[in-house]
Amino acid sequence: MENRTRKSILMWLLLSPLVVVILFPFAVMVSTAVKPRAEVLAYPPRWLPSEIRLQNFVDMWEATRLGPAVMNSLLVSVAATLLCLAIAIPAAYASSRMQFTGLKLYRQFLLVTQMLSPIVLVLGIFRLMASLGMVDKLPALVLAYVAFNLAFSVWMLQAYFQTIPKELEEAAKLDGASTLQRMRLIFLPLALPAIGITAVFVFIYCWNEFVLAMTLLRSPESNTLTIQTFSLVGGRYQVDWDHVMAATLVASVPVAVIFALLQRALVSGLTVGAVK
Amino acid sequence: MTRANTRPSDGIGRAAPYLLVLPSILFAFWIIGYPIYDMANMSLHAVNRFGKTGAFNDFANYSRLFSHKLFLDCLLRTLVWTVCVVGGTVLLSVPIALILNERFYGRTLARIIIMLPWAVSLTMTGIVWRWSFNGQFGMVNATLSSFGLQDTPVEWLATATTAFPILIAIGILVSIPFTVTVILGGLSSLQADIFEAAKIDGASGWQRFRHLTLPLIRPFLNIVLVLNFIYVFNSFPIIWVMTQGDPANSTDILVTWLYKLAFRYGELGVASALSIVMFLILLALTIVYAVLAMRNERRQA
Amino acid sequence: MYQIKKRRVLGLLAGAAVLLGATTASRAETLNVVVAYYSAATQGVFEGMAKDFMEKNPGNEVKIEVIQWDNLQQRLTTDIAGGTTPDIAMIGTRWLVDYVKNDIAEPMELTPEFKAGFIEAFLSPSTFDGKLYGLPVAASARAMYYNKDLLAKAGVNEPPKNWDGVVDTARKIKALGSDAYGFALQGKEIETDAYWYYSLWTHGGELLTDGKSGVSSPAAVKALTLYKSMIDEGLTEPDPTGLNRQDIERLFKQGRIGMILTGPWLRGQIKEEAPTLNYAIAPIPEGEAKATYGVTDTLMVFKSSSKKELAMKFLTETAFSPKWRIEFSTKEGFLPVMKEEAAAPIFADDPQLRAFTDMLPYARFAPLITNWEQMVDVVIAALQKVYIGQAEPEPALKDAAAQIDGLIQD
Repeated sequence: MENRTRKSILMWLLLSPLVVVILFPFAVMVSTAVKPRAEVLAYPPRWLPSEIRLQNFVDMWEATRLGPAVMNSLLVSVAATLLCLAIAIPAAYASSRMQFTGLKLYRQFLLVTQMLSPIVLVLGIFRLMASLGMVDKLPALVLAYVAFNLAFSVWMLQAYFQTIPKELEEAAKLDGASTLQRMRLIFLPLALPAIGITAVFVFIYCWNEFVLAMTLLRSPESNTLTIQTFSLVGGRYQVDWDHVMAATLVASVPVAVIFALLQRALVSGLTVGAVK
Repeated sequence: MTRANTRPSDGIGRAAPYLLVLPSILFAFWIIGYPIYDMANMSLHAVNRFGKTGAFNDFANYSRLFSHKLFLDCLLRTLVWTVCVVGGTVLLSVPIALILNERFYGRTLARIIIMLPWAVSLTMTGIVWRWSFNGQFGMVNATLSSFGLQDTPVEWLATATTAFPILIAIGILVSIPFTVTVILGGLSSLQADIFEAAKIDGASGWQRFRHLTLPLIRPFLNIVLVLNFIYVFNSFPIIWVMTQGDPANSTDILVTWLYKLAFRYGELGVASALSIVMFLILLALTIVYAVLAMRNERRQA
Repeated sequence: MYQIKKRRVLGLLAGAAVLLGATTASRAETLNVVVAYYSAATQGVFEGMAKDFMEKNPGNEVKIEVIQWDNLQQRLTTDIAGGTTPDIAMIGTRWLVDYVKNDIAEPMELTPEFKAGFIEAFLSPSTFDGKLYGLPVAASARAMYYNKDLLAKAGVNEPPKNWDGVVDTARKIKALGSDAYGFALQGKEIETDAYWYYSLWTHGGELLTDGKSGVSSPAAVKALTLYKSMIDEGLTEPDPTGLNRQDIERLFKQGRIGMILTGPWLRGQIKEEAPTLNYAIAPIPEGEAKATYGVTDTLMVFKSSSKKELAMKFLTETAFSPKWRIEFSTKEGFLPVMKEEAAAPIFADDPQLRAFTDMLPYARFAPLITNWEQMVDVVIAALQKVYIGQAEPEPALKDAAAQIDGLIQD
């Protein structure tokens, strides 16, 4: 027990420089978000506000219409994550479990699709969506997000799938189970942690994505959270920093919750290994 | 149709992998293939600033690009930026992932903290850091001087000598969560009993890492190296938000310059040519990496 | 268990589909208006106009979309390329050159009376070949704000009229030894070039002479040498390339700047954020000439719009009605662009505003040429090299001028 305490102290000491740097911007956000507006621009700058003004959050919520934007972001991110997994899981299963001609070529093809930054492709994607009449429609964003996450998801899933032993499935095959049955009954339950982690990656990408959303969406009602938050900083002449920081904090809460869930996926990934 | 010559299960069995990967291929072709074609097309033609293509112009876009005085500067800086950020990220992420894979008090909290930068979009991260590094009002100077580490305020983003290293450091910071999580996922999918066995055999910590852990997480390291390389090479928001390539283009990388060319200057033809060139550079580097990694694997086998 | 999960996922998908569908439904007669974000007030003002217009013209809908300046150009470029332009958009007036050249902007047919309602100077930048392509909004001229208390402490009771006076006053403020700086110098981002044009123009320089760049003329070198010597002498804030316009304005609001050159919007911000600041406004310091920078943004109608008539109706009857002009200009802190607006007590009885409007006869506007944005960036890069000491004024400006001449030829 004493040993573990010593180890814990050592581990935290090793991590501490990074922890400080990581928490620094969050401290800045919290400090600015709860300051009365007059103190935000005060000189010299101070960490602690004279009073903690939680009203800033209320004002921000009303002034910035963050609620609908949160809904849009959730919808798009969840839909894109599900669609992406629906396409990527079979593909990853095939490329980790089956030998077929063109497998290498397929992987390279996927990788190549990732080599162009969305910024580069914005104009073409926009023209494509415009020709489909999908500008300012959230499904357009969903499709684009899936396309930009496919390669990563397939690759990631396939790497995890390879760590799942084949023996169980082979036994089931001998028992006469079909490919589909094997995949559903034996493989998927074992692969759930990996799928969960991949889902989180895709979700976070969608949640934070900016360039595509900026290009494809039009009306204020369909704005996602990143656009809505960024719109607070884009002022040419004046920025309400307390609102900006409050909004950024609020926008990061759902993702932080997902991290907590991700911990479980990582831990259960461990237990899958142990059970085997 | 095929039933006559092959047994059904065989036919399905052989077609199965193709059927499984087909949707992803179609999807990628549809959403990403068209824009790539669109751009390649623009790079070869005269284009007005609103993307209307005219006649084939004899690679004029490319020759204008290569003769531009900023091209080489930006290219070199992009390579420095990419190598530093990716290298720094992976070098830091492996030990962090190893630490986070140990059992210690507060591990869950530590993992959540390490992932926090990921919870904020790059754009907003850039904004907060920019605000923090402001020489007159920023909390970095305020904190340094309150600890007595600084006499006069430093205007961090005013010259490339301080601005570019800061950009790289932030680039590393925001790449760590993704990288650590992938490696950590790889580590946690390994079986503990191998390590127990190695321990019993008397292998030292470094030996276990070098000969057991590292080879086992290699597929995951390959993922993060290649993907990070692509992402960082194309990474736009941090530099754009913090310096816009200032002062005097001394923090511009290819992608920020590309954005200026395309949307500020309306030089869509040159911008498309630059995109194709960037694409070819990435492709070449990835192929080199793939060849090296394969040779390495073969040697170890 | 598995079954339940599957059903839940399906349900979620279905729900998502319904909601996605719902957000995209739209009515038939909708006027789409894209405007730029000036401040937190922008959305409210334009939505007020839209509501007003809809009440007077039932059956029509006006949709306002507010976009950040940083993204506006990209956004409109993709819109034009994809054929999904709105009906009306706000743009930087100098972009209009490209819009007109590429046949994207619709010429405006206006009654002479309506046209006569505008202050002449603001209409000319959006006129090409005698045709008007846009209506000016967000007009500003620039002047010098000075901190009365700080100048008085340094023993200066009258604001300096010329550049020698500025240098002299800045020296006295520096001698106070506080953490205040004499003269603010903007060194990065939007309008870094403009901050130098004030000096260029008042030293008798020009941006273009005979179709060639004027930024390497002796006057230009003199203008830049002046700024550089002020940096070196510590008369400006240190390391100007780290500060954009908002940064130097913030320093002024904190009472740490003696003199700053900027536009009328700062008054509103001071009123709100630093009400106790004792300041006044004077003309831009003179050298050999008097000058200021005149800037407007423009509301224009797209040629591709199928509702041009309705769009013009919205502009002439609502957006440019005195009521909404006054609302916009006061809330955002810009100059009046219409005569009736300027005569309103809120503007006419405002002595501070006169400092800006008095300068209008000397106002220069950005030249209406293509490639302007690229030239601006070339100039800014040259200025920054000099400000951080990487280059001397003359060679830096010569290099910039050569590049600009190359761009003009394209």
